[in-house]
Amino acid sequence: MTLQQSAEPAVAARPAWRRDKSRLFQEMGMLAPAVALLTIFLIVPFLLSFWTAMTNQPLVPRPTPVRFVGFGNFLRILKDDLFWTSLWNVSRFTFWILPVQCGLAFATALLLHQKMPFQNLFRGLFFLPAITSMVVVCVIWGTLFQYPTGPFNQVIGFLSGGTIEPIDWLGDPNWAMFSIVLLSAWQAYGFQMIVYLAGLQSIPDELYDAARIDGANALQRFWHVTMPGLRPTHVFVLVITTIQAFKLYTQVAILTQGGPKSSTETVVHYMVRSGFEEQKLGYASAVSVILFLIVLVIALLQRQLLRRFDV
Amino acid sequence: MMGKRLLSMLMASVALAAAGVTAEAKTVLHVMHQGDPGWVSTYGEVAKRFEAANPDVDVELIYAPHDAYNEKFSAAVMSKQLPDVMELDAPFLANYVWSGYLQPIKPLIDQDVLDDMTASNIAQGTYPIDKDLYAIGLTDSSVVLYGNRKYLEAIGARIPKSVDDAWTQEEFEGYLEKLAKVDGVKWPIDTFRGYGIKTEWITYAYGPILQSAGCDLIDRTTWKSTGTLDSDACVKALTMMQTWVKNGWVVPQSSGTNQFFAEGHPAALALGGHWFYAEAAASMKDDIVVMPLPKFGPKGASPNGTWIWGITTASEHPDIAGKFVSFMLKDKLYRDYATADSGYPGLKSFAAASPLYDTGGPLAVAFEQASKTAVARPPHPAYPVITSTFMQAVDEIFNGGDAKTALSAAAAKIDEDIEENDGYPPFDEQQ
Repeated sequence: MTLQQSAEPAVAARPAWRRDKSRLFQEMGMLAPAVALLTIFLIVPFLLSFWTAMTNQPLVPRPTPVRFVGFGNFLRILKDDLFWTSLWNVSRFTFWILPVQCGLAFATALLLHQKMPFQNLFRGLFFLPAITSMVVVCVIWGTLFQYPTGPFNQVIGFLSGGTIEPIDWLGDPNWAMFSIVLLSAWQAYGFQMIVYLAGLQSIPDELYDAARIDGANALQRFWHVTMPGLRPTHVFVLVITTIQAFKLYTQVAILTQGGPKSSTETVVHYMVRSGFEEQKLGYASAVSVILFLIVLVIALLQRQLLRRFDV
Repeated sequence: MMGKRLLSMLMASVALAAAGVTAEAKTVLHVMHQGDPGWVSTYGEVAKRFEAANPDVDVELIYAPHDAYNEKFSAAVMSKQLPDVMELDAPFLANYVWSGYLQPIKPLIDQDVLDDMTASNIAQGTYPIDKDLYAIGLTDSSVVLYGNRKYLEAIGARIPKSVDDAWTQEEFEGYLEKLAKVDGVKWPIDTFRGYGIKTEWITYAYGPILQSAGCDLIDRTTWKSTGTLDSDACVKALTMMQTWVKNGWVVPQSSGTNQFFAEGHPAALALGGHWFYAEAAASMKDDIVVMPLPKFGPKGASPNGTWIWGITTASEHPDIAGKFVSFMLKDKLYRDYATADSGYPGLKSFAAASPLYDTGGPLAVAFEQASKTAVARPPHPAYPVITSTFMQAVDEIFNGGDAKTALSAAAAKIDEDIEENDGYPPFDEQQ
């Protein structure tokens, strides 16, 4: 006690501002590396892309001068049917991938949450697609999708006794986006599955025991204990899956290049096409700014959702 | 005393530096290229032989994959690391020259190599503004109509012997209809949609169908696309191709690129590149027939152009770069490899040594097209936009979209790009 008392005035003797200042320097010093890196690699390029979006900057230097065009690029994008098609396609993709991918992830998580032999082995196996490169997955699924004699069509033909015509998975405008949904969900569900598993493990066993004592059957326990306990997990999974879905690019670039009939054109693919193939960097930057705004709005909306669920 | 010591030290360091220079006197030549593994190793060997013949030069090869070549090139430009010698796809030449990346190569290349070039080879390396030569290649390319002899005999089709008696549109479409009913034929023709929808193949191989039908991707004097690409002739030509697809006559995009010679030979005809011959003939044996491209109007048209060699403005040793290109084009083993790859001759001496393309050879018709019907893709700096937009329109049309709408949109987009670049001066004054 006496020791403490004698120590306090000594500290208080130093003026408050000096103490704070030295701590401030220390904190600034620790922050500096992260802030510097973020500034150089995130904030500056981000601001630059805003600036580039206002010019007719080409990808590589050209003899003609770079001009400030104001909102000209934005206006042209908004007038381009292909941009709206790509936005519509990404929305369609998101609409399908959410139930398919999250449903698959949820189902496997429930399955793997049960006590069973080789539990960790199974978890690893189910997680395998997620650590496989998307490019590799695309190439393999591209063969599976082959028309008319690919494995999928052969299986369908065999099961239906030949009554179902082979499906042109990637070549039919009505099927192409759905095919991409299937393979994307299969490749990426592992991550959501892990999140769900963590969510399931965070529900205390006592709740289940109590429900059991109250006479709740398995379905009731699932509905009234598991589901409410997973509410924050559901919202989190929805948010990240939506944001990822809006950035759809790799699968499209490898398998369909936006076709057939622009049915798989996505916003990011549209951006790469205008920036790298057509060498219109300013225009592509404007697309990226629009995409950023869209994702920002969605993220904010979903944050509101999170708030309502008290997370 | 002090000054003298300083001076001697200075002298010594200068001498050292000089010694360093003599040790480092090897000139390094950067060569950027693409190609499949066979070609990559061929270039490697050419480089070694060149180094052996020129001990003071070090050739450094920079490989960039075919599908991402233009992106890699852009990256090199932006980081100011242009190579000395670069391979480039011929239709992009105008864009590169206009942007100031290539220099005229006539003064740098051996005269006997220049004299050896075919007209089509000169055309693909010439910049339309100053009519000067900026690139050169050993090879060129073309597309022909391959046929399966059995099927053609089954329908009693006339087999054209030369470019002059190529099938007319009526004949061609009539045969497609008949072939569709022949036993064993799943698809009357493969137009290689399997290469994808974002591939130069579309502009390269289908563009001449437009030119034969009497229109083009862009007017080559006013450099305006509206009124040309969306003209009635082009709409008619692409609607015709759309009808083939609708009728189920064309191998679908997702069925790969080997249906012409796959087991059972499901495709009867193939609108394929000269490079397709070696593989197809190996499987089809005597059943393969090589015919000129059909005429879709009064005159025939066929594609040309391939990957050729240019020397960049960034090169510090253009003379050595030129020496390397000349050396490579004359290199016997390089030519042997090109022959084995059924390379399409762009040099006359190489044609003479290529039995495939010689009179009476199986691909003689393909070589005949080079002098009679070959049309280069539009040599304009807006080419990257022209080709990308046209691919987009073709995909739209093949999948049932309205040809007029799709082509008008494409033409508008091309004109917009040209306007935005102030007409790519001096192309705007060229008319």
